[in-house]
This record gives sequence, C-alpha cells and structure tokens, in this order.
Amino acid sequence: MATVIDVQRLCKTFVSRGKRAGLRASIRSLLRPSRRETRAVRDITFSVQEGERVAFIGPNGAGKSTTIKMLVGILYPSSGTAEVLGKVPWQRRRDLAYHIGAVFGQRSQLWYHLPPADTFDLLARVYGLDGATYRRRVAWLVELFGVGPHLEVPVRKLSLGERMRCEIVASLLHSPRILFLDEPTIGLDVVVKQRIRDLILELNESEGVTIFLTSHDAGDIESLCKRAMVINHGEVIYDGRVSTLKRDFIRTKTVSLKLRGAWEGLDGPGVRVLKHTGYGVKLEIDTDAAAIDEVVGRLLARYDVEDINVDNPPMEEIIARIYEAGPLGGNGGAGGR
Amino acid sequence: MIRYVSVLRTAARQQWVYRAELGMRVVQMALFMGVFMALWRTAYGVSGRAELAGYTLPEVVWYLAMTETVVLSSSRIFVEISQAVRAGDLAYVLARPLSYPLYQVSNSLGHSAPRFALNLLVGSVVVGIGMGGVVGSVPGLAAFLVLAALSLVLDALVAVTIGLLAFWLEEVAPVAWIYQKLVFTLGGLFLPLDMFPDWLRRIASALPFQFITYVPARAFVRFETQFVLRAAAGQLAYIAATATLMALLWRRAQRRLVVHGG
Repeated sequence: MATVIDVQRLCKTFVSRGKRAGLRASIRSLLRPSRRETRAVRDITFSVQEGERVAFIGPNGAGKSTTIKMLVGILYPSSGTAEVLGKVPWQRRRDLAYHIGAVFGQRSQLWYHLPPADTFDLLARVYGLDGATYRRRVAWLVELFGVGPHLEVPVRKLSLGERMRCEIVASLLHSPRILFLDEPTIGLDVVVKQRIRDLILELNESEGVTIFLTSHDAGDIESLCKRAMVINHGEVIYDGRVSTLKRDFIRTKTVSLKLRGAWEGLDGPGVRVLKHTGYGVKLEIDTDAAAIDEVVGRLLARYDVEDINVDNPPMEEIIARIYEAGPLGGNGGAGGR
Repeated sequence: MIRYVSVLRTAARQQWVYRAELGMRVVQMALFMGVFMALWRTAYGVSGRAELAGYTLPEVVWYLAMTETVVLSSSRIFVEISQAVRAGDLAYVLARPLSYPLYQVSNSLGHSAPRFALNLLVGSVVVGIGMGGVVGSVPGLAAFLVLAALSLVLDALVAVTIGLLAFWLEEVAPVAWIYQKLVFTLGGLFLPLDMFPDWLRRIASALPFQFITYVPARAFVRFETQFVLRAAAGQLAYIAATATLMALLWRRAQRRLVVHGG
C-alpha cells in the first residue's frame, strides 16, 4: 500500500496581536504591539496509507482543525513538512484540490438560497468534469446518500442532517482519493450521525477512498475507524488501533436514566453509581466486567424507565487516562499500525 | 476561465431569489430618478438657459440615469469578504482549485449583473417617460454597455481589494466609504465632469474615479469614438493595476491566514 499522507514534525504557531484594556494600554499597543503566540500544533509526525480510515480525535482547541487545514493546503505551517499524494499542500493547493475532498462540519459550501443541484453543477464546472462523467457520478452519489428528494429544494429549507449529506456529496463529485472530514457529525442527532458514519464507511469500502476525519466524539471513531490518533494541546499522545484504544482507555460507558419510580440499586459486577438525584440516576459501567447490553436489559426489566442514554466517557477523561499510562500510552506510536 | 463564469452565473441566479430586495431596488431607482428630474428641471428653469456646460436638460437627466445604473449595481462584496476573513470562513473556497480573489470578483459581478439589468430598465423607463424621449444613440448604448461592464469589473476589483485589507485592518468599512464618496464626487455621479469648475475638472480627469461613473454615462449621452477608445484604454489600465495590487495583497494575506473553528 502506498503512503498518501506523510507528515514530518509539523508545527503551527498563530501570532495574534494582544491588547490590554484601557486607553493607556491602547496607546502603548499602537507604539509597540504586544504579540501573543498560540502554539496550535507542535511537532506532529505521522503517515497514512492508501485506503485507511483514520480518526484524529481530541477536545476542542487541540489542533485537529489546524492540522487538517494544513493538509488541505489552506494554512501555511510554521515549520515542518507534509506531503499529500506526493505534493506539499500549501505549495500546490490548487493542483492537489483535484485529488482530495474536504468537508468542514461547521461551514457550508452549498449556496444557501439555491437548491444543492445548482452547487453541484457549479462544482462540476470548477473541476472541469465532462457531462457524461458528471451525470454518472452525481446519480451514483445521490443514490448512495439518499439525497434525491432534496436536490431541488433550496438549501435554507433543508434540515442539518439533509444538508450535511449534500455537503459530503458536493465534496465527492470530483472522485477524490482522500476525503478530509473536519467534525462531520457536529450538531447532528444520534440517528443521523450513525447514518453519516455508515455512508462514509461504504464509500471507503466501495471506492477505496482514504478517510481522514477529526472529531471530539468518541462515537465517531468506534464505528468508523480502525486507527485513531489522539491529539491534545497540539501533540499526538496516542496513535494506534481503535480496538487497543478502547481496550486500554475506553473501558467504561455512562448510562443516564430517568425513572418513574425510586432507585433501589442494581446488583452485579461493574456497575457504579456516579450520581443519584430523585428519579434521575447516572451509572458508570465497566465494560470489562459487564456487557453494556446485558446491564441495560436488567435495568429495563427491573425499573419503569422513562428515558435512557448510553454515552462514551468524555474525551477529556480518555485523555486523562492516556496521560496516566505515560507518554504514548499503550502500544501507541509507530507500533500501533 | 469557464469556472469563474460559472461562479458569476450561480451568484446571479442566487440574486434573483431575493425578489423583495430586487423590488425595493426598482422603487429606489424610480424614486431617485423622479427626484433628480425635478431638481434639474428647476435648475435649468432658474438659469433660464437651454444648455449648461453644453448639456441640455434631457441629456443631463439621462447622464444621471446611467451613472446611477452603474453605482446602484455595485456589489459591496467587501462586507462579505471582511466577515469571512474575520471569521476564518475561507476554507471551502480554498479547498477547491480556485483563486480566492478571482472567485470573489466573479461572485461580485454575479451580484451586480441582475441589478444592472434591472436598474437600466427602470431608469430608462422612468426617464424616458419624464423627458419624453431618449437622448442616446444605438452606438452610444453599445459603448455604454461595454464601458459600464468594464467599470463594474474595475469596481469589483477595488471592492475585493478593500475586502482583503481585513487581514490587516480591523474594520474595512471606512475605506470602502471613502472610496464610494470619491466615486460620488470626483467620479461625477451627479454632475458630468464637464460641469465642474476648471481646476476641479482637471483634478478629476487625472484620477481613476471617473472611470466608474462619468465615462460610461458620458459615452451614452454623447457618443464620440475617440472618447470611447481613450476611456476604454484608461479603464483597462486601471483594471490591470488594481488586479496586480489585489494579487500582491492576496499573496501576503495567505501567510497571515488564520482559519478558526474546530
């Protein structure tokens, strides 16, 4: 398999001009502006093989987006190098754009007052696709993503989930070899999230598109990626298989319950009560000691449950555990591939 | 090139969606023309002369209809660009094989094109009825369409350049305001340059603002081949100069780019 992304000691430091409050400080900042440096990405090294599905995960502000934007060629790094499909992205941005696709979950590329089909047509011209190829491609993607009914509806009238599927289609029209997804499931509900994950998976399997996605949602990695990199404060602190990450660091799930009766406890191993207020209970399930479906089954059998939620531990907690395990915890690093 | 034409067409199509806004523009154009017709009628009546600086009343009113057609079609794209720069919202355009400044120039012209057609139509109808006829000629109209297209290109380049200043300035609206007022005054929006006092006319003729408003309108009202050719040459020179400045600014801006979020 060929290496499609190769990153060596990549760093990005943003310099912003700081200004303190007050007139005196304002005048001083005019004469001698104080510079504040933010080290968004510090010394990241990794590579990705063709056809891989890689998750780049970390809390907000960890440097995920900055890294993806350097790999797409939008941002210049402060130091270090990167090659995507053999090209240095920020030097060959427009060249590279023909071979990679990007989805930014918090932005929109669709023309807001026009139907998605208009944006698709525009993009076909931007990429210089010939008519027949474009029509075949659109037909296939529309079918796969199930956006047929939304094609002629102005974007402003679509739901977030419908829009996001159209956004992804728009990023795939030119048959990219690598798809970068920056928080593609942000703000979506659970069912829609899962749908998007399934579609990305299918795309990877049917076309061999390399998937590189960032997320702060541990759910994204579990059901989509084989390999995960955890990034915190601009540094990669874990790089290895998702299964290993789960085994070593995501050993718990939290179950939140709303009951119609009083809480009387639950027997069995691996169940710990985190919080308990009135009819609301929050449990931590140790998934080594008890299977989550089994615990939920017993809960439903014993209690009259009004609402139930099963969540992964928050990203911060996973990161704390990785730190506890020492630098590049588990069998992370290069050995994890 | 085709890709930028497609951007322009898509932007123009989106403009037609704002029906209510387009309706407001029709009212605005009609109102302006009505007011200025009344003003000029009074001015000519008070002066008691049939011509002022060589312009008859219908000529000066048609001149105004043409300058307003251009000015009211200006896109104000700098607002969109400076917001995008501040919010770091350039990612999607840059993830495509597109030049950001050229994309925005096409976007700006796409905003302008439908407004231009509408303003020209409404202005002509109102002034045609009010003045009881058309002053221009067929070659005059052809020259106007060419020169007005060039002036909108120049205006779009200036607007994008002003928008890019957002990489260095916290607020670009004042710069845009100054540019706009210079077009209004030295560009001869309300008065043809020929009506200016001699010293001011000389200054205005040496500056580029005339190429936005005066030049196309004057060509419509009074068609002279020599004038049109010189005007087009001047516009093209300033288009080249502004495009160069825009490209230089963008080169420097790219390194300052901070894309927020996530």
